[in-house]
Amino acid sequence: MLKITAVLVAKILIFIGRVFGKKGSSTPGHFALMIYPNLLKELAHDIKGGIIVVCGTNGKTTTNNLARSMLSFGGEKVVCNEVGANMLYGVVTAFAQSARLSGRLNADHACIEIDEISITKVLDHFIPNIFIITNLFPDQLDRSGGMDVIKAHLTAAAEKAKGCTFVLNADDPIVSSIGHGKSNCVYFGVQGAEKAQECAEKKGHFCPLCENELAYGFYHYSSLGDYCCTNCGFSRPKTAFLATDVSVSGEKTRFTIDGKEIVSDLPGLYNIYNIVAAYAAASFYGVTLNGLNEILSGHTPQTGRMESFYIGKKVVLNLSKNPAGFNQAIATIIADKRKKDIVVVINDNAQDGRDVSWIWDVDFECLCDKSIGEVTASGLRCNDVLVRLKYAQHQNTNCKPDISAAVRDTLKANGDVLYVLVNYTALFQTQKILKALEGEKTN
Amino acid sequence: MKLTIGHIYPNLLNLYGDKGNITTFEKRLSWREIKYETVQYSPGDTIEFSKIDILYIGACSGSRQHTVCGLLQKQKSNLKEYIKNGGAVLAIDGGYQLLGHYYKTGESLIEGLAAVDMFTESGGKRAVGDSVIKSYLSDRVIVGFENHISQTYIGDNKPLGQTISGNGNNGKDCGEGVVYKNVIGTYLHGPLLPKNPHLCDYILKCALEQRFGSALLEPLDDSAELAANAYIMQKYGGF
Repeated sequence: MLKITAVLVAKILIFIGRVFGKKGSSTPGHFALMIYPNLLKELAHDIKGGIIVVCGTNGKTTTNNLARSMLSFGGEKVVCNEVGANMLYGVVTAFAQSARLSGRLNADHACIEIDEISITKVLDHFIPNIFIITNLFPDQLDRSGGMDVIKAHLTAAAEKAKGCTFVLNADDPIVSSIGHGKSNCVYFGVQGAEKAQECAEKKGHFCPLCENELAYGFYHYSSLGDYCCTNCGFSRPKTAFLATDVSVSGEKTRFTIDGKEIVSDLPGLYNIYNIVAAYAAASFYGVTLNGLNEILSGHTPQTGRMESFYIGKKVVLNLSKNPAGFNQAIATIIADKRKKDIVVVINDNAQDGRDVSWIWDVDFECLCDKSIGEVTASGLRCNDVLVRLKYAQHQNTNCKPDISAAVRDTLKANGDVLYVLVNYTALFQTQKILKALEGEKTN
Repeated sequence: MKLTIGHIYPNLLNLYGDKGNITTFEKRLSWREIKYETVQYSPGDTIEFSKIDILYIGACSGSRQHTVCGLLQKQKSNLKEYIKNGGAVLAIDGGYQLLGHYYKTGESLIEGLAAVDMFTESGGKRAVGDSVIKSYLSDRVIVGFENHISQTYIGDNKPLGQTISGNGNNGKDCGEGVVYKNVIGTYLHGPLLPKNPHLCDYILKCALEQRFGSALLEPLDDSAELAANAYIMQKYGGF
């Protein structure tokens, strides 16, 4: 009875949240778990096929939603926290939402992204079948306590979830070291896409086992590439899922895996990692390369993942919240050869991390490209962004704290396309502004 | 006229956008048409102190501090000599801590470079947040972001400033950072210099006077930098 109440309360709260325009939410899950602490455990037990979880600094939402698209393509029912509410209560909300009022869950699979700090707590409730780790980059150091802390959480989680299969990024030394010496791991990677990454600098990455500086064969971005430790011999493991013949500069993203050409609208090298990771996991449940292009063409990305609008010209919104993600966004923008202008929105609310020092690890120098016209700094920390652009020697900059004013003014510039790069708390606010402007233009 | 910036282990000491501090030194020199060279030192390199006008030691996580301290022990006496002779040093966070006698964490004790009479003990509540300090070096406040779980005690040395907001060295004596001869150590990153051009120019002036006997720094248009400084001052400093 309590279980039914818990599911009912969650569903009512989800409904109320929707009326007020909330998307992903943790509140319903919080109440549901208070009413019936075994709820998540029992609902997860009802999953007939497999549970895939996704952890990692960047690409969690995209990878998780791609895995969902792949698994649900044949009509199978998949539980998914698609908007990215990825702490314990957000996960409970996703399961409760899919449950029947009887308290039972009728679903074939679950694809769940989980915040790295929350993962061990979630594993108290269920152990997944597949555990994907996308990458580990420096992110929100004032909130997380740093890379050492995140790695410790994931190592503890890997110990707890011993029985599952780990799908790990071979190109990321810290991620692959979590699988070091374990047999139940498969690795994915991307081979030789250096040309796509003109701005990348391969210095300063250290062996996770012995702290010696790593040497790289090919190098992609942040710490990703073909690394090798000359001191202890730790190196990029052999990949079971490998993307080759990568092209990210045309209108479509293209690569080859096992001789099959894959084409996607998701731009950027980082999205090739996301696709390969999701495919690696989904392949355990019968998804094959033959159907992959069709699945990808029907896949809709989440809010703010290179999301397109049309406001007299094309406008692209992208979430860019740490140096690795931001530098990938810049690389993707530079690969677009049209004339463009840029708005950068940086807030320092609690969910963003209060510390904005990371913007100095973003290669804003690369924006001094002749295809880029105006760059406008916006958001709560627009002053910091403006200083960063000044020291990157960008000549054509503005500073407009108000996001709407920043977007409207920069739309007047000469570019063929406007890119709007935002960090976390600015995302939904900016999306709303862009939708409203798009509406004004069409009416 | 040319200044040389010695950047210690940029690959190891780079936690909080540290290269922003180096960029600020470089740009503020080049905008005044003063030549500069930045020499990056890697572990194992001998640091040529006689060539250096400004030594920069950046931030690192606790686990890496041990490695860095060990690597720098061999250069200890040369560093002390450099400092004694008035060489300019800017040391941030982990780099700041290792200038002292030791860094004590629980049972273990990391031996510091003993270049400044101070010491650090870990423990207590982590101090995280934007910080505003009033320094005797300038009329304008210095702003930055602190993130440390350790307490630093600077003995009879002068602090870089008094905290208007933030935890400072140890949360007890209202002092933040240290000034000893031409050494500045601080927990403040953000990074520190872009939002504090007055502090950057103070260090450049020290270095120029040390090398050439006098220093004349042309004023620059600092409106963007000072707006960023004022935003933090108003939000956290209360004025």
